[in-house]
Amino acid sequence: MEIKRRDFLKLFGGISGALFLGGCGLDDVLEIPAKLVNKVKNGPRIETWKNTICSLCSGGCGIQVRLIDGLPVYIKGNPNYPVNQGGMCPLGISALQVLYNPDRLKHPQKRIGNPGSGKWESITWDEALKMVSQRMIELRNENKAHQVAVLGSDERGLMKEHIVRFLSAYGSPNYYQFSSLQNDFIPYQLVHGHSQIPSYDFLNAKMILSFGANFLEDGYSPIYYTKLYSHHRERQLRYIQIEPRMSLTAANADRWIQIRPGTYGAFALGLAYILIREELYDVDFVNKYTFGFEDWTDRESKKHNGFKTIVLGNYYPEKVSEITGAPSEVIIELGRELGNTPQALVLGGRGASDNTNGTFSMMAIQSLNALLGNYERQGGIFFIDEPPYSKLPPIVEDSIAKNGNRKELIATPRDIAFPLTNFSIDSFIKNILTDKPYPVDILFLMKGNPLFQSLNHHEFVKALKKIPFIVSFDSFINETNEYAHLILPTHTFLEEWNENSNVPSIGFSHIGIQQPIVEPLFDTRSMGDIIIDLAKKIGGTVAKSFPFENYKQMIESKFEGVYKSGQGAIATKGVKKLWLEYLQQRGWQIGRYSSFEEFWDQLLENGGWWNPIRKEKKLTEIFKTPSGKFEFYSQKLKSSIDDLVKKTIEHDSTQNLESVLSRLNILARGDTVFLPHHESVPYEGEMPLYFTTFQVLTNRDGNGANLPLMQEMFGYTVRYYWRSWVEINPITATEFGIKDGSWVWVESSINRIKVQAKVIPGIMPNVIAVPFGLGHTSYGRYAKGHGVNPNSIMRNLYDFISGKPALDGTKVKISLAS
Amino acid sequence: MPKWTMVIDLDKCTGCGACIAACKIENNVPIVDPIQANEGRVLFWMDMITQYHGDYPHIEIDRMPKPCFHCEHPPCTKVCPVRATYLNPDGLVAQIYHRCIGCRYCMAACPYTSKVFNWYEPMWLDGNYNCFNPDVSLRMVGVVEKCSFCSHRLLKVKEEAVLQDRSIMDGEYQPACAEVCPADAITFGDAEDKNSEVYKLSRSYRASRIMDDLGVEPKVYYLSKRS
Amino acid sequence: MQINFLKFLKKNSFYKFFIVLIFLFTVLMVFRFLPQKNPKQPIAYNHKVHIETAGLQCVDCHVSVEQRAFATLPSIEICQNCHAGDPLTESEEEKKLLSYISEGKEIPWLKIYNVPDHVYFSHRRHIIKGEVTCSECHGNINEFINPVSSQFIDITMDNCMKCHEERKVTNDCLTCHR
Repeated sequence: MEIKRRDFLKLFGGISGALFLGGCGLDDVLEIPAKLVNKVKNGPRIETWKNTICSLCSGGCGIQVRLIDGLPVYIKGNPNYPVNQGGMCPLGISALQVLYNPDRLKHPQKRIGNPGSGKWESITWDEALKMVSQRMIELRNENKAHQVAVLGSDERGLMKEHIVRFLSAYGSPNYYQFSSLQNDFIPYQLVHGHSQIPSYDFLNAKMILSFGANFLEDGYSPIYYTKLYSHHRERQLRYIQIEPRMSLTAANADRWIQIRPGTYGAFALGLAYILIREELYDVDFVNKYTFGFEDWTDRESKKHNGFKTIVLGNYYPEKVSEITGAPSEVIIELGRELGNTPQALVLGGRGASDNTNGTFSMMAIQSLNALLGNYERQGGIFFIDEPPYSKLPPIVEDSIAKNGNRKELIATPRDIAFPLTNFSIDSFIKNILTDKPYPVDILFLMKGNPLFQSLNHHEFVKALKKIPFIVSFDSFINETNEYAHLILPTHTFLEEWNENSNVPSIGFSHIGIQQPIVEPLFDTRSMGDIIIDLAKKIGGTVAKSFPFENYKQMIESKFEGVYKSGQGAIATKGVKKLWLEYLQQRGWQIGRYSSFEEFWDQLLENGGWWNPIRKEKKLTEIFKTPSGKFEFYSQKLKSSIDDLVKKTIEHDSTQNLESVLSRLNILARGDTVFLPHHESVPYEGEMPLYFTTFQVLTNRDGNGANLPLMQEMFGYTVRYYWRSWVEINPITATEFGIKDGSWVWVESSINRIKVQAKVIPGIMPNVIAVPFGLGHTSYGRYAKGHGVNPNSIMRNLYDFISGKPALDGTKVKISLAS
Repeated sequence: MPKWTMVIDLDKCTGCGACIAACKIENNVPIVDPIQANEGRVLFWMDMITQYHGDYPHIEIDRMPKPCFHCEHPPCTKVCPVRATYLNPDGLVAQIYHRCIGCRYCMAACPYTSKVFNWYEPMWLDGNYNCFNPDVSLRMVGVVEKCSFCSHRLLKVKEEAVLQDRSIMDGEYQPACAEVCPADAITFGDAEDKNSEVYKLSRSYRASRIMDDLGVEPKVYYLSKRS
Repeated sequence: MQINFLKFLKKNSFYKFFIVLIFLFTVLMVFRFLPQKNPKQPIAYNHKVHIETAGLQCVDCHVSVEQRAFATLPSIEICQNCHAGDPLTESEEEKKLLSYISEGKEIPWLKIYNVPDHVYFSHRRHIIKGEVTCSECHGNINEFINPVSSQFIDITMDNCMKCHEERKVTNDCLTCHR
């Protein structure tokens, strides 16, 4: 039966028009419940709004969904939710295209063809869960519980706790997350001594200096920062962005300073040079609360060089200018401006951290904050409190679990690499391929698409093919899931319960409550519930660790702590920080609820809880380093590299510190290794152009590519739709004979991609940039076959220390494609 | 009579594109085939203009969201042979899709290129794309469409006000783009109402209108320190 | 097929073929303008009985007529308010209703008064502010013994505009078109 859209639209309006198809016995195609069809056809069109949290990126914005007779039709920001205050990004607005996406998985899928063949068979939930649980029971009985690994994406808060809980009760220590946020904390851990990502007091800062932190586009929470930016503009504060490509953030900055990719550390130390030389730094703070600034002698009365000596000796403006490509006058001028502005904040972001020298660059950037004495003061850096959640009941471990949890982690680097991390995707892949320390029998993939984002695609595919059983939790089939043996279809975030607490770097503790907006459209289940089901099926102590009926009950039990604490407030209209502080000073609290049920109902109605009031911390409390101070000289780094040396010498007595450092690709020697310093990126000499990538708001880490609206809007700023482009400076373009709009090959030593050129002045000469997110070979009809994946031509390089993929570590050449 | 006016603060606007997405979803604007979209047939009621100034390395960039300007003296309405587009008493330049014959004279007449044409049968999400906004009709191939200042929202707000015997309050009628803007860059309201935010902002020293010398008196103001 | 057609042309001269065409066309046109059969409602609902005997008002069943744009056709929940247990009459139609109720199925009422997708029509606005009575558009429903099967006033733009003109209400396109 063929109905022309226009014909039936004449008969029935808009929404009912689409549903009319459902009424014509096409329910098999559409699978919209008949009850809903009827309701919309003859319904009163009652409009309701429901609050929930968007989870398409890490941002955690509160959203309001508009429902007409119970069917979602529109999403807007929740004006009372403190993170986004009614603002939204394009990706969040089009979230309904996730819900209604035709490529969504409707039943559990079992792969019947070869990996990557795309042949699947629908099976029932009972069959699927039986397959998984039986295998897991068998492994456990064979005392191989530790051979189960979970590769998650960007779970935080309770969901992370939930997965870890499941694994610990089962007996495996192998939980890893592959996401852009993974291992972000390492540089902070080195200088602060703990892994919390700091928050920044944007509102009171007078000047913001950002090193490659494109926080309006790909930060932790772009909309939160957009709100702050807009407040800033009202007060006309100064805002400077340093990066090779003019990102959305640089475009909105007062000043854009161009430096070569991978030289952020040198530039930061160049500024430190000016601050120290002209005594513009906070002497009091540096003397009292930092370690390793001046030269010092250790307990063995060995003399060590301090930060000051290293900076003054090596990072004078002319040299920094040579490394970074920024004129030395700019460095001097900027250093003076930084030192003379009270409350100037320094941020480091993806551009600085995602390179082979990322950790050292981020340390250098943080050391600027220390020089300026920015900790715990107006317009400075602070750390927020954890929300007052109640604790879950203890995990019950039997001997198998205890035994398994003690086993060595599978993703820990086996060779001399990444001293500070127990996970790098590189070592994870290598260890799976070499079966060391033991093989992986079951791999769980928790949403996310690591294969698409990875740099060594081929090795990763080999590793995935080697694993005997891969179970994926996802709503769509993407590149990674193609290699799974079984896909358990999860709800979209609009259909399931979850919580979203304390998004990194946001300046107050908050919890958003994600509640189902509609009844599940298909035969899908919530990820949290599936895990509980699995635990129950495995039985024994694993089941005992989950005394909950479902995931929602777990969330409720966590929230009881929030209710009992009496802290903070439910995010409602008119409740602002000042008002809460006023009340607290007088011993009042907002919203006394007669019962937990009342509190819970209010929470669901308003969408979240927040606490803008923070316990003031002393400067001596915030640093958890061995010295209890901000460490220019990182003792943590020193001890972990010493450990690495010790371990290597045990295996091979010919090794020493020197050989370990050269294996780590660290060029510096002596005390400089443990101080913030510039390491040059091991580029290949013969290639002429630096290659960099960026994420756009409409796509983020590639997960927006299956939404048609986001594909169309992919290049709205350059007017390329559904396709990738390469940004080239006019100077470089002339040099290579490239015109705007011509098709070019971008070629590295690994591979090449064909893209259309966009010649714009918003990028440094000799640097070219390709947006990340397109070039899918799977992930549904709207994603597949559009654009190119720039990661496919990148060299397989990682940060020496943290194991983060180095996204700016490749050089390329470019030629016209005829 | 009210004079519905939009003020866009370019100093605050980051160019994030949230207004474009909100507009497309609120108004059921179709997605265009990838190849045709790149031929310039993409349908954005709210568009984003990007302009670079200066020489490298001192580059400045202007990002300017561009809706229909709903001119006081709209050139597009004068050329419409069927009165499908006209200036309505509320000061909105209306586009009546079922009247439109697709001659595209108005597109040629509009100095701001705010109008777009449906070259093809609209493309929706395959199968079960049922998240249409029921307040806005779906257009067919061969008609011109454009930003309506979300006039369907005005219709509802007006009805509510009339039934309660009061006038429309400031901020009660907001188009989707103004509502969703994360930078609070878009302000919308009645410029005749002296207490409204829009009245104040449109008289700010930063306010200007694009191509003001044409005399069409657009009702969209831009605030910027630069110009 | 093509050969047959050519043979047909050869055998019969062209005008004969032409006459056949005209005949077919006429038949089509006659069918087109024949009065169409009225749609049949699933239950032969008797408005008069419900209004006069049961004493119901329009709003009792068309619940949202005063609150929203759509008057809505009643769902079984509303019918259930009266037709809960045993049948109230001996009518065959009531039995049909009761079987719908017992099965928990909605009655597939046919909607007779439809406005197109591109038109916004608000009942509430017309009734409360415009003080238009139901019968002006829907006829004297009180007297309806048979179910509604055709429009009392044709729901056309002409009729809308005529009434708006008479009552001196705005005829601006955007008041209705969207």
